Amino acid sequence: MNRKKIIELKNVAKSFDGEVVLDHINLDVYEKEFITLLGPSGCGKTTTLRIIAGFVTPDTGDVMFDGVKINDVPPYKRHVNTVFQKYALFPHLNVYENIAFALRLKKTSEEEIYKRVEEMLAMVNLAGFEKKDVNLLSGGQQQRVAIARALINNPRVLLLDEPLGALDLKLRKDMQNELKNIQRKTGITFIYVTHDQEEALSMSDTVVVMADGKIQQIGSPTDIYNEPENAFVADFIGESNILDGVMLDDYKARFSGHDFECLDKGFAKNEAVDVVVRPEDVDVVDPEKGMLKGVVDSVTFKGVHYEIIVTIDNFKWMIQSTDYVKPGQKIGIYIEPDAIHIMKKSEYSDMFGDYSSFSDELEHLSDATEEEE
Amino acid sequence: MKTANKVYTWLVFIFLYMPIAVLIFYSFNASNSTSAFSGFSLYWYKELFSDSATLTALKNTLILAILSSVIATVIGTLAAAGIYKMKNKYVKSGIMAVTNIPMMNPEIVTGISMMLLFVFVGGLVHSSSTLGFGTLLIAHITFNLPYVILSVLPKFKQMDKHLPEAALDLGCTPAQSFLKVELPNVMSGIVSGFIMAFTLSLDDFVISYFTIGSGFETLPIRIYSMTKKRVTPDMYALSALIFVTILILLILSNMTSDKERTRMSQKAKKRAKIAVSSVFGVIGVVTLIVLIASSGTKTLTLNVYNWGEYISDGSDDSLDVNAAFEEYYAQKYYEETGERVKVRVNYTTYASNEDLYAKLKSGANSYDVIVPSDYMIERFIKEGLIQPINLENVPNYQYIKDDFKHPFYDTGADGNTYSVMYTYGIVGIIYNTEKVDEEDIGGWDLLWNEKYKGQILQFNNPRDAFGTAMYSLGIDVNNATEEEWRMALDELRKQKPIVQSYVMDEVYNKMESGEAWIAAYYAGDCLSMIENNEALDFYYPQDEEGNYITNIFADAMCIPTSCANKELAEEYINFMLSEEPAIANAEYIYYASPNTLVTENAEYQDYLEDDYDVIYGTIPEEDLPELFDKYAFRNLPQDKLELENRLWEELKVDASSFDPSVYIVCAVMVAAVVGFGIFKYVQKRKRRKLYWNNNAKSPATA
Repeated sequence: MNRKKIIELKNVAKSFDGEVVLDHINLDVYEKEFITLLGPSGCGKTTTLRIIAGFVTPDTGDVMFDGVKINDVPPYKRHVNTVFQKYALFPHLNVYENIAFALRLKKTSEEEIYKRVEEMLAMVNLAGFEKKDVNLLSGGQQQRVAIARALINNPRVLLLDEPLGALDLKLRKDMQNELKNIQRKTGITFIYVTHDQEEALSMSDTVVVMADGKIQQIGSPTDIYNEPENAFVADFIGESNILDGVMLDDYKARFSGHDFECLDKGFAKNEAVDVVVRPEDVDVVDPEKGMLKGVVDSVTFKGVHYEIIVTIDNFKWMIQSTDYVKPGQKIGIYIEPDAIHIMKKSEYSDMFGDYSSFSDELEHLSDATEEEE
Repeated sequence: MKTANKVYTWLVFIFLYMPIAVLIFYSFNASNSTSAFSGFSLYWYKELFSDSATLTALKNTLILAILSSVIATVIGTLAAAGIYKMKNKYVKSGIMAVTNIPMMNPEIVTGISMMLLFVFVGGLVHSSSTLGFGTLLIAHITFNLPYVILSVLPKFKQMDKHLPEAALDLGCTPAQSFLKVELPNVMSGIVSGFIMAFTLSLDDFVISYFTIGSGFETLPIRIYSMTKKRVTPDMYALSALIFVTILILLILSNMTSDKERTRMSQKAKKRAKIAVSSVFGVIGVVTLIVLIASSGTKTLTLNVYNWGEYISDGSDDSLDVNAAFEEYYAQKYYEETGERVKVRVNYTTYASNEDLYAKLKSGANSYDVIVPSDYMIERFIKEGLIQPINLENVPNYQYIKDDFKHPFYDTGADGNTYSVMYTYGIVGIIYNTEKVDEEDIGGWDLLWNEKYKGQILQFNNPRDAFGTAMYSLGIDVNNATEEEWRMALDELRKQKPIVQSYVMDEVYNKMESGEAWIAAYYAGDCLSMIENNEALDFYYPQDEEGNYITNIFADAMCIPTSCANKELAEEYINFMLSEEPAIANAEYIYYASPNTLVTENAEYQDYLEDDYDVIYGTIPEEDLPELFDKYAFRNLPQDKLELENRLWEELKVDASSFDPSVYIVCAVMVAAVVGFGIFKYVQKRKRRKLYWNNNAKSPATA
């Protein structure tokens, strides 16, 4: 690849009050790329962003910009701008003055400021809002002002810290598209922080999955989803049935007391592995035709499909199917070889069990907005 | 329910604002009576603006308030920013505690400790007059600071903490971020902190009292020290104006608060902004004018410290004696030396001899002329706090009646003269002719007459109060033995059940309104009361032969040892004895004058009419020295002073003892609060216990 690196983090570590927040991470960010840092609360993604912005100085390691070390360059001298989580608009200034703020500092002429602000307002669809009080704008409008304010400086890199976290679902989807469009139009590198895996998958060129201050996997959204590196990534991105298995041979895995064909190779003989099967890749068949058999525990209607919990060999599987089955019904399941993904054992292997204690509410709770560092 | 709510709200408002309403009402009274409203008039407002001393005090107060609040606001804002950015929690809360202490500290402790510090530092640099405008300013800044910090800090905390980061991110240096983003966002806190500091500084009395120097007087101190005579209604006018000003400031400060701001329309916002900036503008201009005006030609300054309302000050078309002296001496100086100078009389006032003593004794002030009373002069001479006057520089001394040239307190035994008598007066009894029978008057026993139970007023100071008892018992007030002191105490105790209250200048109100019928007081003041209520009359207690048995007192001009310009002080004393100023003073103060230029002046005698006999007494003039010898208060030996204070406390402690029901109510209230606290605590513990038990039982959630 001949893409140019714009930001490099080299072996960066950071602790707050003795608690390790970033554990020696390495990350390259390329020009014109939309890269997302994805992870649960406290995984270090916001700290990474703040290190790039210059608000946090790493304990060890280097931050490079265009190949130059910028560890000691203060925020106001960096060619990056930030869209803050709660926008951080200046309440004492109106929309126009908020957006013009950076240019005024540079002593730009009034005509130029006017021209640029109008451009920005048009870009974020807020033409005519110049004189509005920012405190009276809706969340989405404030969001747009924040983006316009950060972009007016023509930064090389735009940092976005969970910018859509405070918006409702519908608005969030619209803004996702709009952000993606803006990024394409301007060609500015976006570094985007979120805990929302769906947002990450739908917007990014590259997704960086983080947990416990470490980078778990870097890859395109499809890679991340289809080829998760370990149990954490598999669980965090989408729904997964993660089972203990043994690699009998290349292309041959054994789990749930059954031998399966698969597309994975390169493991040692009889190596213990984690097996991932996505719920939508499991076919419901008659019990006698199934590779595995079990009894339906519960069925939930989800609109596009039913969510079925089935107990097989003491493991509760989640299956997403458009066919209805009754709770208590005996069913068989069929899994295609390409639906099986084999992962090496990791520190996360035993942390993600089956769906026995699964509930929508709990899932929701653990997704709560990331606490601020 | 709704009406009940409304009624209750109005009752609370009435309770809070009734006193101020009454004050404002009486500031428009045509007469100076506080009991009767005799018609609407702006007289006292006019009077106020022709009273140069009060206006000077007002100017001083404003300058002090502006300077101290501006400086405190700047320092306090920076301090709040610093505290806000502090990382260490413990240091932060420690600093906040330290900041809050001066606010909780009783003002009197702050005042005294600051005075001590200033005097101590002054001693280190060998300055005789440490206390002055500078120290007062420092003190005001000090007590204003916590209020500014407490009003700015929450604004910092309320501010989105990412704002400074956003500013840095957009290219601000940290300094720019502070000026362009943080300051505008905490501005409402700064403004309200400033206004609070300003108003606090404006009305501070206690701390100012201890840290103020000679030759400078703020309004609260001036009002307080007016109590030798009484608070004149022009003070009501002034208080009304101050109240309205503070009200406006408060409304402005509320308008700048965030809550209002978001609710306000753009136009209203603009208006509020204009109003606030115009207030600041006016303040700035005033400061500038004062600063410009204060620079100029060479100035000779004379610090005069006198009783309140104890000089003719130009009100009521009288002569402004101090202004006249300034003019007179500037002219005289020019004629003698050919040099133009500005003469300035710094005229400040005190409320009691004891206040004066404390100020002088602290050594931190320098006064040139003071006017203590007889027994205090004796004490000053003994303690070397005043110095002999060079009578060659006071030629007008010849007009002092010979009998008053060497009174008991300044006998000239060491060949020196320490004092020049200013006024003297006699204590008499004022009574309401409509209520008191003619046959009961004549002696001190009227004050003990059971017939007038609950209608009698007694002095609220030990010397005068014990005096009434001793005169009545025929005890020598200056040489009483301990046993005789105790007899006087018993007499006062006997009187207590029929006494309505112990008063000083409240006597005016109570007598003029008819609320009380009988009181002993100083003759000059009694005449003012009679002027306001025709039904009142007055007599001097006498024995069967018609001899006065009552206190006679004198106030005299003295020069403290710390005087900076003795010749100027003697010039002033001499001027006060010359005909025009002396008559103006005598007519204004309404006490007896020892000056023959006054007493032999026909116009003056006409002016007083019948009051002449009351003021000067009907006994032959040659008997006066004897009266002084027998009945004037002398400086008591230390052991008797202590005894006097102890006995006075014994009397007053009973006086302040409450009805037993008050104690019961108090106890019930405390018990209720404690009981409620315990109840809440127990409830909380029960709930917590339940919570823990349940949580321990249920499986741990993922």
